[in-house]
Amino acid sequence: MLPMLAFDNAPPFKAPLRFFLTAPLFGVLAGVLVLVEGGDLFASRWTPGALAVTHLITIGFMLQVMLGALIQILPVVAGASLAHPMRVARNVHPGLSIGALMLAAGFLSGSPALLGGGAVVLGLTLVYFLTVSLAALWPVPATSPTIRGIKLALLALAGTAMLGIVMALALALGWSVPLVALADLHAGWGLGGWSGVLLAAMAYVVVPMFQLTPGYPARPSWWFPAFMLAAMLMWGLAVLIDWPLLGRLCLILSALAGIAFAGLTLRLQFKRRRARPDATYRYWQLGLTLSIFGLFFLLTVGFWPAAAELAGWTLLFGILLVAGGFIPFIAGMLYKIVPFLSWMHLQNLGQARVPAPAMNKILAEAAMHRQFLAYGVALALLLGAAIWPEWLARPAGLAFTLANGWLFWNLAGATRRYRQHLADIELRLAAGPATP
Amino acid sequence: MSHPKTQHVVDARYMEPPEPFVATMEMLDTLAVGERMLLLLFREPHPLYKVLRQNGHAYETELQPDGTFEILITR
Repeated sequence: MLPMLAFDNAPPFKAPLRFFLTAPLFGVLAGVLVLVEGGDLFASRWTPGALAVTHLITIGFMLQVMLGALIQILPVVAGASLAHPMRVARNVHPGLSIGALMLAAGFLSGSPALLGGGAVVLGLTLVYFLTVSLAALWPVPATSPTIRGIKLALLALAGTAMLGIVMALALALGWSVPLVALADLHAGWGLGGWSGVLLAAMAYVVVPMFQLTPGYPARPSWWFPAFMLAAMLMWGLAVLIDWPLLGRLCLILSALAGIAFAGLTLRLQFKRRRARPDATYRYWQLGLTLSIFGLFFLLTVGFWPAAAELAGWTLLFGILLVAGGFIPFIAGMLYKIVPFLSWMHLQNLGQARVPAPAMNKILAEAAMHRQFLAYGVALALLLGAAIWPEWLARPAGLAFTLANGWLFWNLAGATRRYRQHLADIELRLAAGPATP
Repeated sequence: MSHPKTQHVVDARYMEPPEPFVATMEMLDTLAVGERMLLLLFREPHPLYKVLRQNGHAYETELQPDGTFEILITR
């Protein structure tokens, strides 16, 4: 008999699942906030509502899924296992969720206690996560661009968190710091250094594996993470020595690298061998295309900083890159990862005697496709709201709430079906050997 | 399919999981002790590495410029 897949040391499914199910709820919350605040929220990137929504999405949704996925995926893509994955999940999930809520509430209310408290909770949670994940990962030699990418991305997460905590404490305690320059740097580290590099490191594995595309060429894959980190470090130096021109150069270089990565991924996807496009493919096509548009907005600011002062420019950039890029990448991945993990765990639990159901029985393609269309509508309305906030902000908020609620519904449905099959397998195994 | 490194090759670059794992284990079963096979993939198969180590098989991995990982496994 063939040996079972070596997932005996894989973390239990419930470890990452709590993150995956919580993330869309933060999307719902962000949508509700847009719905309640309306057009005022879109007045600038600095409005309390815009800051709250940004962090509900970037921490509550994006970071949530990214950390949950890392707990699951480190043994698979890097051969590095966390010593106690369930304990890590139990500690990180509430810290991240409560910290994100406190921070968002702090931005909305202006309460120093909530802002400072949120920063402390998030800081402690991330110090803990970074310590345990780097302890597992650092001894592993960087034999692939993915391993190197994850290591560098985790360093960038540490940098992002430090910058964020300094700013939150500065706001809470009234310290005098160059907030605008630090906020740009924080966003650069968070979106470029952490999210962008982690996305690339994961894409090197999951795009060819799930979409049956050619592989990413070795040399650019190897250098992209280091290039992004170097650009972020140089940007930090530019802020430190107050040399804006150097900062602009870093912004231009990182935007160009991002466009090159997205362009390359689109090219690989066009060469895929999977005939029928699925929800993951469509989400990635959307994300790659809109990220490229978003990065061109950023590139323009690099060459012509006054563009950032144009009405709606920075908001459009943020919506294109975060709601148009990262959320679709993550939703697309969730639609592969959740059915795949369900199938994998059921397959292993069935001990080769009770077969696992096919992945499309766990989460149907039609359900994912309809939710994708709903998200597309929400995205179009959000982009419109950056230009005509008084008309479109509330419809955009409502649509974003519904699309995220639907994502939750689909993932929760998959979980429910997983549990039903699990109970069935346990029953059949208890009943004795299955007939072939 | 043959390859300069060995004539026993599993080209799993366009296979969906868990096919690469299954095809590799099936080919390993057909080899004599000391014989070698090559697995081609666009990723490093860490779960497979673990099974290979558990079963006492040696392996060497080389990343090619096109992104292919060539994994040479000795039974």
